Amino acid sequence: MLVTILVAGIAIGAIYAMIGLSYNMMYSTSKVVSFTPGQLGMIGAVFGAWFIGVLGVPLWLGFLGAMGVAVVYGFFTELIAVRPVLKSIEQHLYVLTTLAAALMIQQAVAIWWGTDPRPFPTLFGLGTGLSSEKYWLPVVACFLTFIGLELFYRKTLWGAAFIAVAEDAEAARALGIPDVRIRVVSYCLAGFIGALAGFMGGQLLLAFFALGATLTFYGFVPIAMGGLGSSRGALIGGFFLGILQQTANYFVGGVFVGVVTFVVFITLLLLVPRGLFGSAVARRV
Amino acid sequence: MPTGLEAITSTDVPPVTRQRSRVLWGTAAVILLAVFLPAGVNQYWMQIGTLAFVYWVLIAGLDLIIGYAGQLAIGFVGLLAIGAYTASILCEKAGWPAFAALAAAGAAGAFFGFLVGLPSLRLKSFYFAMTTLGFATIVTQVALGWERLTGGGIGLPGPIFPTPLDTPVGFYYLALGMALFATYLLRNVAFSNFGRGLVAVRDAEVAAEAVGVPITRLKLVTFTLSGILAGMAGALFAARQTYITPDAFTFDLSVLFFIAVLIGGRGRIIGPMIGTAILTLLPEIAAPLVMWSNFLYALLLLLVVLLVPGGIAEFLERFFVKAAKGEGIEAPAPERLNAVLGQHASPKILTLQGVALHFGGVRALDGVDVTVRPGTVHGLIGPNGSGKTTLLNAASGFYAVNGGRIVFGEADLASRSSADRAALGIARTFQTPRVVGNLSVLENAMLGAYRQFTTSFPAVALGSRRGVSEDRVIRQRAADALAAVGLRRLAHLKAEQLQHTEQRFLEIARCLVMQPSILLLDEPAAGLSHDEIEHLRLLVEQIRGLGVAILLVEHHADLVFQVSDEVTVLDLGRVLAHGAPAEVRVNSEVIDAYLGT
Amino acid sequence: MTKMKIGFVIASLVACCLVILVSPPAWSQSSAPPLKIGWLAALTGPNSTPGIGQDRGIRYAADQINKAGGVMGRKIEIVSRDTQGDPTKAVNAALEVINNDKVEFTIGPTNSGECLATQPVIARYKVPSFPIGVVDSLIDTVKFPYSFRVSNNNTQWQESVLTYALKVLKAKKIGIIGDTTGYGTMSVNLSEQLLKAQGANITYKGLVEANQTDVMADLRKAQSSGAEVMIVWTDSAGLNSRLMNARAELGWNVPFAGHPVLGAGAVKPLLAKPENWKNVYNVGYRPMSFDDNGKLPEKSQKFVDTVSSAGVRLDDTMLWWVGLGVDTVQLIKDSVEAAKSSKADDVKRVLEAGKTFNGVYCTSCTYSPTNHNGYPTDDVVMNRADSFRAGAYAIAPGYGK
Repeated sequence: MLVTILVAGIAIGAIYAMIGLSYNMMYSTSKVVSFTPGQLGMIGAVFGAWFIGVLGVPLWLGFLGAMGVAVVYGFFTELIAVRPVLKSIEQHLYVLTTLAAALMIQQAVAIWWGTDPRPFPTLFGLGTGLSSEKYWLPVVACFLTFIGLELFYRKTLWGAAFIAVAEDAEAARALGIPDVRIRVVSYCLAGFIGALAGFMGGQLLLAFFALGATLTFYGFVPIAMGGLGSSRGALIGGFFLGILQQTANYFVGGVFVGVVTFVVFITLLLLVPRGLFGSAVARRV
Repeated sequence: MPTGLEAITSTDVPPVTRQRSRVLWGTAAVILLAVFLPAGVNQYWMQIGTLAFVYWVLIAGLDLIIGYAGQLAIGFVGLLAIGAYTASILCEKAGWPAFAALAAAGAAGAFFGFLVGLPSLRLKSFYFAMTTLGFATIVTQVALGWERLTGGGIGLPGPIFPTPLDTPVGFYYLALGMALFATYLLRNVAFSNFGRGLVAVRDAEVAAEAVGVPITRLKLVTFTLSGILAGMAGALFAARQTYITPDAFTFDLSVLFFIAVLIGGRGRIIGPMIGTAILTLLPEIAAPLVMWSNFLYALLLLLVVLLVPGGIAEFLERFFVKAAKGEGIEAPAPERLNAVLGQHASPKILTLQGVALHFGGVRALDGVDVTVRPGTVHGLIGPNGSGKTTLLNAASGFYAVNGGRIVFGEADLASRSSADRAALGIARTFQTPRVVGNLSVLENAMLGAYRQFTTSFPAVALGSRRGVSEDRVIRQRAADALAAVGLRRLAHLKAEQLQHTEQRFLEIARCLVMQPSILLLDEPAAGLSHDEIEHLRLLVEQIRGLGVAILLVEHHADLVFQVSDEVTVLDLGRVLAHGAPAEVRVNSEVIDAYLGT
Repeated sequence: MTKMKIGFVIASLVACCLVILVSPPAWSQSSAPPLKIGWLAALTGPNSTPGIGQDRGIRYAADQINKAGGVMGRKIEIVSRDTQGDPTKAVNAALEVINNDKVEFTIGPTNSGECLATQPVIARYKVPSFPIGVVDSLIDTVKFPYSFRVSNNNTQWQESVLTYALKVLKAKKIGIIGDTTGYGTMSVNLSEQLLKAQGANITYKGLVEANQTDVMADLRKAQSSGAEVMIVWTDSAGLNSRLMNARAELGWNVPFAGHPVLGAGAVKPLLAKPENWKNVYNVGYRPMSFDDNGKLPEKSQKFVDTVSSAGVRLDDTMLWWVGLGVDTVQLIKDSVEAAKSSKADDVKRVLEAGKTFNGVYCTSCTYSPTNHNGYPTDDVVMNRADSFRAGAYAIAPGYGK
């Protein structure tokens, strides 16, 4: 029993963690918390299933296709839902525009793909039972993403530029760093990360249009717990949530799993101040 | 906010009765249409109308939350569900009469509305939105899982109102009546002190604090009222549907409510009303598009936020409301000051002793002593970074001190919040003027009297006569204050239309309305022209003459030396010199550090 | 300002157009007025698969009847509204078709949740209605006197499944599992009730969220409880397939018996291995089942041949949905003709008179003043879930005939 809970919990937790990383990526360069990361996961799962399962395209091509769609969606998210409202960011209009963007893609996919969850193809056919690839693929992807991001930030010039823009976009611009371009790239990268979560987790989650809503919420919990902008926090929070869910499901089951998760979420959110007030507000008066 | 839509009693603020009568006629027409609708259309359209009224009861409350208070409560369908289930369970399982169940639904809504509001005190925008979404999901899941109480997936029948309200026509009028009542409540709150306070909290929280708005209390009481309306709407919804199941309370419905407020225009009434009507009608008219309805709502939301953030209301305003034209600032009329400050609070001395404040390793204030006596002007000067504004912020409660005492009158201010200090009689202006752009100049000034307004929120919501007359008194005082500072002719402009310098005078007017014991001015002359500085000097002298204490933080040394009774010079967080202006002016250290030759 | 004024004019024009659009048309009828039947169905959105199948049957039947001259010279007109599975939309749609289109009969809605909301509303207008939901309380001769059901009700499904589990599969320990939707929770609880009344031993009872990714833990619990049969109540193809896959991964050869969707076409691609579909029995209908020789009853076979040649697809839906649609429309025709009127009271009288209607799905449909559930209980049988062919299933072993 314990083993099942752990394996399933860590697998799904890895997916949540990656969605959390996607949130972080978008937040870092724009100070915007977007409603779209969950939808990116959905795109990865649905389009992966479509390219590989329905169109029969080879694995690597289907992967690129699914990621491509998500990157394009991330690009347009930044262009249409984020950039226009950045100048009045204190009004938090981005909540509304990204919500709208998320709803639109969700409904469009529902109409095109159908409202029933459809199968996600087996990718490599490795492992059975608890060692099936559907459990460890997300975990591998999650760690690779995490390591990749750390290397990116610490070792590359672009990474340093990202950090600069994250700290103070105006100062970065004054230094000649193309902050707009970096923001666009970060949203595309966030698209990739989110879709990767959905693609690698597709066998676990299935290709389902309503995935976006679930992932948006459950992918946010690690962020709320670990603090916006912290990759480590996202990982720990994600795994914790995954295991919590599976445990609750085993002991409580049924309807009340969601209730338990939410209560834990809101309690932590209200108690732990880390990351709750967004970025530190500069001199108010 | 409805600028200029109320006839003003003061003689020098021009009445705008033409706009007011237009609105009245429009409202009367809409009400007449609603009353006679059943006679003209078949039962289907009438029932759609009923649904729109029921939604409006909830959306009116939501308008206060989203439109006025600016809180992004997306999951309000949870409150609708709570109201619906409360009423249905009480009627079906406990045999309660429908109206009692309706009241109970309102009470349940009040309780849960309050709970939903609590996180808003600590969480910002996105986080708060997420918690409301979680709340709505939980309500549905509990409704689904608690089968013994709620019937689980099968649901249960809704309440049935006594004849003749149980017929479609009868229920239509009940819903219409409730919708009118909700509108009445909304209108009363929106046009009141509380409405202004909410907008201030939404758009310029610092200004709200500075005038003493008890932000927590105001937010919670607003959430409670919205909860009552949402709960009652839920009861009506259950009655209209005649049977409720958990799957009637979808997330899409939440989004619909949310969008209705936004496309109507935040902080408006008629706009969201129209928005509600449109969103209820749309799926019925565009039947072939029903599959796309959710997509279209989302698209509509996006377009509204990007293109017409003011919503339908902004759109309408351009047609029906002529933009008020301002004619510029004029000389202050000090004789009006008497009217404003006539009964100002008792004279109190502000004493700062050994005040210390550090930001990390930086000692912004390092043991500063300053005393400001009533009826005097105490100037505070010093180089940049010397701690002048920090001291002012510490005195007014915006910064917490690390050492020393601050005493005002007999009260030790140590644990008092900025809002409490405002209530004690400390008024202040800001380096960058904090005015509420969306409110009119007059309304901004009226904000100063927030704490003096004694009628309670519930009384105001129900249209208390006392609230109306208090409002009138405050309005007159604000008009006097505006005239006193020279902004009389700009009273009906939106504050955001004012120039920077005019906004500075507006802040002062707002402070005057507070009838303070002490006025803290934070670099009020910055950016002012020579004439305007003269006006300022006159004003300060007149205010002093009426017994108010003034702490003047300034860079314009000439102004300070002209007008102050005593001057303190700060440098690197310490008092460098203190005394009469003449002495300080020739003090060699001061000259070295700051004045130059 | 000018741009605004133009916008205003356009908005007014649009408003006028809308007003015109919604006012009822006033053209007069020269020949006999059409017989309008309201069809409220979830045609898009979740749970739309049954509605789509029933829609085919309804339209096919209406076409055939109209080609043969209609009902007493009146052509049938199907006024259809997509309710998307939303009770609020269903109520609005019912009000619309009754008040605006003035339908004389209604079929549907197709989900129990919607039906629960629309039944009282339709009853108020005294319009004969044929709801398509299984919840027992939908049919009530006192509360909804003009409502008749052609399809089975929930008790019939339950009894068929439970009897099969106890009598044919001879299970002593029963496990019940369902999803967390309204239907699922209700069905699971109803099974528990009925089994307890028979003194059966329930060793596991669980509810799973339809979209839950992994069900291994739940099935393990059931397995360790020693259940000898799993009663499964979920209409989610995804969940059903996941349960079957988990059962295979556990190496647990327990039979599944339950909801028709256990055998739905949508389940097949979701199965990890085709063998996972073995030992699964979904409840179905004798007229729509292949016997041990692989043959449908003669009448049903003829039906399949006729509708297939008329272009109706059967391989992606269930035959009984199509049959249900056809039977309902036929029943309306027969009762109007027998009553020589389409007035509600006349039709009600005729239906309650007890004459048997021989449909293709509901082969002997009878009503009485105290019973408005028409489907014969004996015809509700268990099918083998993996035997799907052209919309029908093979009858499960143990039924004799």
